[in-house]
Amino acid sequence: MRRAADGLRRVNVAGLLTMLALLGVWETAVRAASLQLTTLPPPSAVAARAGDLLLSGTLVADLLHTLQVTLLGWLLAGVIGVTLGLFLGLWRPAWRWSMASLELLRAVPPITLVPMALFVFGFSVRTELTLVVYASTWPVLVNTLEGARAVRPELRDVARTLRLSRWQTLRKVVLPAAAPSILVGLQLGLSLALVLAIVAELVGNPAGLGQGLVLAQLALRPEEMFVYFFTIGLLGIGLNAALRVLVARIPGTTPYGRRES
Amino acid sequence: MSQAGPGSTDAPRTVACRCRGASVELGIGPRSRCILDSVDLDLLEGELVSVLGRSGSGKTTLLRVLGGLLRPAAGSQVAFHGQPVDGPPQGVVFVFQNYAASLLPWRTVDKNVALGLEGRLPAEQLKTQVAEALETVGLADRARDYPWQLSGGMQQRVQLARALAMRPRGMLMDEPFGSLDAMTKASLQDQLQVVHQSTGATIAFVTHDIDEAVYLSDRILVLGGAPATVVHDIRVDLPRPRHQLATKELPEFLRLRRQVHNAVIGAG
Repeated sequence: MRRAADGLRRVNVAGLLTMLALLGVWETAVRAASLQLTTLPPPSAVAARAGDLLLSGTLVADLLHTLQVTLLGWLLAGVIGVTLGLFLGLWRPAWRWSMASLELLRAVPPITLVPMALFVFGFSVRTELTLVVYASTWPVLVNTLEGARAVRPELRDVARTLRLSRWQTLRKVVLPAAAPSILVGLQLGLSLALVLAIVAELVGNPAGLGQGLVLAQLALRPEEMFVYFFTIGLLGIGLNAALRVLVARIPGTTPYGRRES
Repeated sequence: MSQAGPGSTDAPRTVACRCRGASVELGIGPRSRCILDSVDLDLLEGELVSVLGRSGSGKTTLLRVLGGLLRPAAGSQVAFHGQPVDGPPQGVVFVFQNYAASLLPWRTVDKNVALGLEGRLPAEQLKTQVAEALETVGLADRARDYPWQLSGGMQQRVQLARALAMRPRGMLMDEPFGSLDAMTKASLQDQLQVVHQSTGATIAFVTHDIDEAVYLSDRILVLGGAPATVVHDIRVDLPRPRHQLATKELPEFLRLRRQVHNAVIGAG
């Protein structure tokens, strides 16, 4: 009951109205000047085309492909990033020996890797997945590393005096202490995963929403381009919202003790 | 030698903690500084010994050496019940000054207290030991709360309970009541007395509060000099149990207070 009321209150009415108003302006502007703007379809045409694409199933198939690659790549990046981040954060020699290389690699924008991935893997899903994993590993790795290094020395002393094993210290002290930082990294990584999946589909892997966008452009169907444009946006919003719901369900990541109140 | 301490018997008490020639140098190279210089001390079993000294005199460093958190220089000998200390010894627990930073904020009070017991005891016994420890410090009804929901004094009691739950033979306390208000401090001092009497644990208690040291201790060690050594070793033969008002009005308490005060001032 209370949750439903909270949900209603959380809907940003003003924000929705602005959105509707913008769509209205767009619609009337295109209709009023329809001769000069043949490449800009009115929202009503975009909506109609979206209906067609939904019915034919292509939009859903494209969406599922992009969603799958994004999530799979992001999960792989999460495992790699957290593992490497903990290793580098907890073992000083590893950090000292690798930090310079990592800083250099991290400075290279992941998109730069597109030609190389294409060269190695060709126009394939492997190209797409490689790019997604590479790009979204970085924020996870860096945030995990910093979270692990930022564990307060007092907590390390507590773990030592209670004679916790290395594994217990990692699991019961370091990981929970670093969890907020790791989650931030995962959230950044998810946004990047989607970006790189779309980029790869635009230029590398002929599949998914990115390819749908390119095909619509080549076929001179502007309203279809806008359908893909909005679908990609909605996917981004959906992924972020899903992650937030998921995080809130992990015990210990909600503000401490709010669960019971 | 041991007429006064709690639980004292006529038999000579064994040495719980022995420290010989403990030196500590902190820092590396030309910037290093000698903190402790060849400290000798013995803590008898069941004894409550305060370590006093001015701020920066090396009290905490000494406690960390005894607790195996800090490795002293080569040639130093530290042992707990005959076992050389190389890392935190079994049966010794630490109570840190900064209670807020020493509790795990994502764990409830009872889970914090259970931290050192998990995986080492059967579930039932773990429950009992945690409940007993919380009962002892008077926090049984706050077991399901998170640390941030408790006052500072209560948080420090949680830390004390976490130590007690381990059923320790030795407790090392680093200015545990230093940042608490006077009333909370007095009540925790009396709680510590009860714990000390009932467990018979050997306790080393670092403080900069002279009244607190005299009130609680069987013996007071005064650190002084740079690098520091034990410059005074003062017996406190006040009757137990002690009382916040009655004990502090005894002429012997006042005499000791003055003696310790002069010792600390003179120690420089």
